[in-house]
Amino acid sequence: MNVLAMSGRVTTIARNTFLEAVRQRFFNSILTLALAMLLGAHFFQQFNFGASELKFIADFGFGAIFFFGAILAITAMTQLFFSEMENRTALTLLAKPVYRLEFLLGKFFGAQLLMAVFCLVLSLVLMAVMYVRESALIERFPDSFADGRVVQYWDCLLFGFIQWIKFGILSAIALVIASFSNTNLYTVIVSFFVLVICQLQYIAQDAYGEIVNPLGRFAVWLASLLFPNFQVFNVGERMFVSVVEEPLGAMILLGIVLYGVAYTAFFLLLALLHFRNREI
Amino acid sequence: MTSPAIRIKNLTKDFATGIRRTKLRAVDALNLEIGHNEVFGLLGPNGSGKSTTIKIILGLLAPSAGTVEVYGESAVKVAARHSVGFLPEAPYFYRYLSGRELVRFYAKVCGVAPSEREERVQSVIDLVGMAEAAHRRVGTYSKGMLQRIGLAQALVHNPRLVILDEPTAGVDPLGAAAIAEIIRTLKERGKTVLLSSHLLAQIEGMCDRVAILHRGRLIESGTMETLTAEAGLESLVVDRLTDSVRAEVEAVLQRHGKSLRRTEVPRRSLDELFVRSVRERESERLKCGQELSNRGGDK
Repeated sequence: MNVLAMSGRVTTIARNTFLEAVRQRFFNSILTLALAMLLGAHFFQQFNFGASELKFIADFGFGAIFFFGAILAITAMTQLFFSEMENRTALTLLAKPVYRLEFLLGKFFGAQLLMAVFCLVLSLVLMAVMYVRESALIERFPDSFADGRVVQYWDCLLFGFIQWIKFGILSAIALVIASFSNTNLYTVIVSFFVLVICQLQYIAQDAYGEIVNPLGRFAVWLASLLFPNFQVFNVGERMFVSVVEEPLGAMILLGIVLYGVAYTAFFLLLALLHFRNREI
Repeated sequence: MTSPAIRIKNLTKDFATGIRRTKLRAVDALNLEIGHNEVFGLLGPNGSGKSTTIKIILGLLAPSAGTVEVYGESAVKVAARHSVGFLPEAPYFYRYLSGRELVRFYAKVCGVAPSEREERVQSVIDLVGMAEAAHRRVGTYSKGMLQRIGLAQALVHNPRLVILDEPTAGVDPLGAAAIAEIIRTLKERGKTVLLSSHLLAQIEGMCDRVAILHRGRLIESGTMETLTAEAGLESLVVDRLTDSVRAEVEAVLQRHGKSLRRTEVPRRSLDELFVRSVRERESERLKCGQELSNRGGDK
């Protein structure tokens, strides 16, 4: 397999997938909703139960990125995959000298390109909202900011990057399900179930330590290994608002990225195993 | 060239259906060989196994038994597809791309070198007669135009074998005639063409050889002459005869131990009549338009 030619084909398919994705109304709607939510963060102060204002806006922004990002990662990946199958454009494409792995990677990276745009735009807007609010607070309470600004703005982009890695796992999971499923709806529903499992995976890890029965212990251990722990990626507060907790070290961040990349690669391989025998 | 374009040996394909995974045989012990530079018609009713056979040749389906080779290379291998161009039945392409962008996309996917890509794209667009509409989005194309741009994407990497699944289905006679013309050009350029169709009259004049499938089995195969000619008969087309001349001809035939079996008026096909009439009308319109514009220029 010529790696250079392979990467060329993957890039071509990914670029076309991205073009298709940005032309869908769904992406624009999700992006608009997420932006509206972020921009309106300080109007939701009445739901703030005691946290500092900047932390509240940051939490609100993280929530918006996660909520809308998760919806977009699952639905975009599913839609982009099934549009090729249902419109039979996959038939024409796979009748060319294209490996099925290249097709899957092209679809995946195209969707990831879309998620990169989403994460970048939302991170930049969150940065801007935080900056405006922090500037207003500095003017009103200069004593509280005697040591300078508390928000580490460039870390916001790093946070966006880490969320992008998490959405990569989610897209890869959706691709695994799409690779053997026959319908769009089934893929979306099952992917959301898996998302909930990944969000609550830490509970399984806690249970793992308490179970005495070796068989049960093994089953929970296996489940905790199979489903990634999405709490690992919830590091926004520790990176972003330095007064809240001690900042994260570079090695931990690298570990998180590697954790995400390893799970993504695992799910992509799983998708390939199913897809290579799928009848087109 | 020693290897035939396609060599199919004992090909069988079963599909598992239902909860009990009952086997449904789509192709049954098929043996077929298609030589280089042939135009080969794969015929058969719905469900006869034509599309399944084509998908196996393209590596989109794995055979249950038997082998398929494309120019000596196993069809299972991706490398075999470098020699193959494919136009699916009722093709659907990315609607948001223009015709030119679409062909360029497939050229890139097929690994056409950047230095020759634009030239190849332009030449296949010219070949299928889509130069004027190449800038338009595929979403605005008619069925005939979709087939033609589909042909362009199938040819962009200069394959030796071109597979066309129902290339004239849903296309008006004029479009079908244009596609037939392209197929003849492909043969002249040394390509092998495998086409499947229901519209037998349209492909009759194009194919060198045909095979007829029924329930996955090969029931007939051979050249057009051997399959369709009435054995031992010959027809002469002559000017209209008077009764006395016809009687003389019959007498001559009788002297040689032959007989006049039937007389009939040769007819053009309705397709032929339609295409000729519309083309004549079109060229008249163009001529008038040109004359009008010349007059406008003179003023």
